[in-house]
Amino acid sequence: MTLTVFADRMSQPARAIIIFCKVNGIDFEEARIDIFKRQQLTPQFQEINPMKKVPAIVDGRFKLFESHSILIYLACAFPGIADHWYPGDLFLRAKIHSVLDWHHSNLRSGAAGYVLNSTLGTALGLPLNPEEAAKSEKLLSASLRKIESFWLKGRGRFLLGSTQPSIADLSLVCEIMQLELVDEKDRERILGPHKKVVKWVADTKNATSPHFDQVHSVLFKVKEKLQSQRAVGVTSQNVLPSKL
Amino acid sequence: MELKVYCDRLSQPSRAILIFCKANNAEFEEVTIEIGKGQHRSPEYAEVNPMKQLPAIVHGDFKLFESHAILIYLASTLPGVADHWYPADVRERAKVHSVLDWHHTNLRRGSVGYLLNTVFAVAFGMPGDPKAAAEGEKLLLASLARIESFWLQGDGPFLLGNSKPTIADVALVCEVTQLEAADENDRDRILKPHTKILKWVEDVKSATAPHFEEIHATICSAREPLKKLKAQADHKSE
Repeated sequence: MTLTVFADRMSQPARAIIIFCKVNGIDFEEARIDIFKRQQLTPQFQEINPMKKVPAIVDGRFKLFESHSILIYLACAFPGIADHWYPGDLFLRAKIHSVLDWHHSNLRSGAAGYVLNSTLGTALGLPLNPEEAAKSEKLLSASLRKIESFWLKGRGRFLLGSTQPSIADLSLVCEIMQLELVDEKDRERILGPHKKVVKWVADTKNATSPHFDQVHSVLFKVKEKLQSQRAVGVTSQNVLPSKL
Repeated sequence: MELKVYCDRLSQPSRAILIFCKANNAEFEEVTIEIGKGQHRSPEYAEVNPMKQLPAIVHGDFKLFESHAILIYLASTLPGVADHWYPADVRERAKVHSVLDWHHTNLRRGSVGYLLNTVFAVAFGMPGDPKAAAEGEKLLLASLARIESFWLQGDGPFLLGNSKPTIADVALVCEVTQLEAADENDRDRILKPHTKILKWVEDVKSATAPHFEEIHATICSAREPLKKLKAQADHKSE
């Protein structure tokens, strides 16, 4: 086994990579880097990824970071990966690149900003920022609308109208899953109106079962802890996986 | 198959695609969509790109937007494109993808945040946000430092230590050159300390001569009109 995936299952892009590996039977070692304990800042991890971010991979002596690059590399470098994940057809492939690119400044920016500023910030030692959360929510909602009106158009149930999922579906759906952490009322307000998105998340989960749920179990444990704290009116401290 | 490139030479990713096409002797039609005149918001352009952003291409019946996706597509489909632009080797290619991905949330985000809120705000009739400008500048400077300390490490003069440019070099250099629209003092304050960056820009310019300079004429000549607009706006608010 030459592949090591450096990941924290609380990280959206890390989950996408782990699910992809498991669904495709790629042999790998998962090396946990706990973001909330700041393990990505250690000198050891800096050797792996000088940008000090997860996820990252090492395959033999080859190091790589940036989750989209990693997903593409894995789809191309490992045997037996079905074509729909990262099609050989250059037109289809180009469309996948375009949604992955769009993701950075749209869904990712909106969703991650919203979750951080409304909920998760305190766990990282940052103050919650309702003003920033509102800005991020605006971008998040606009992105969800765009996914429904444009990226999910077509015959199939997946992005770009595909009948089968691609690496883009995994990447974007794992981002949306992070919303499980926010207050149920807010999550329903933001996600509820987007029935097509909700269905697509379920379709992606089914297409990658049982791995999708397994890989998301950490997230759901943290969600439960946050919900019980909210029920007694406590802020989101001490919900980290390491403290469960 | 006819290739149309919808672009505005004031736009960083538009320039990257134009330079790449010309450097590779591509046959294409350049269709100018002027952002300053709001042409990207027209219903006609929405047919080309529903995201109403530049650049976009139409190749026969095939429509595509997002400049990195376009650069990859063109490198893979245009005839006679040398391998160094977008290497076939899976690992070298992965590295090119990683710098293009990094670019979105680093150099690009920093540069746009800074320039939009200082130079371009006025041109678009918006008040600039000084806090956003400061944050943008911080990220821009950190990104330039990172390019010098990491992405330009290696034997060759180009990103990833390559001896010849890739699509990533044109994409990122065109972001750096957007500073040509800024006041010279600001541009020099930001860029002059980064001698490695300045050399790299020159190397990319030489590797894509004469197209680089020709395509950059528009952004370079935007500085004076933008300065005048800002002076007028400052005068009005006094």
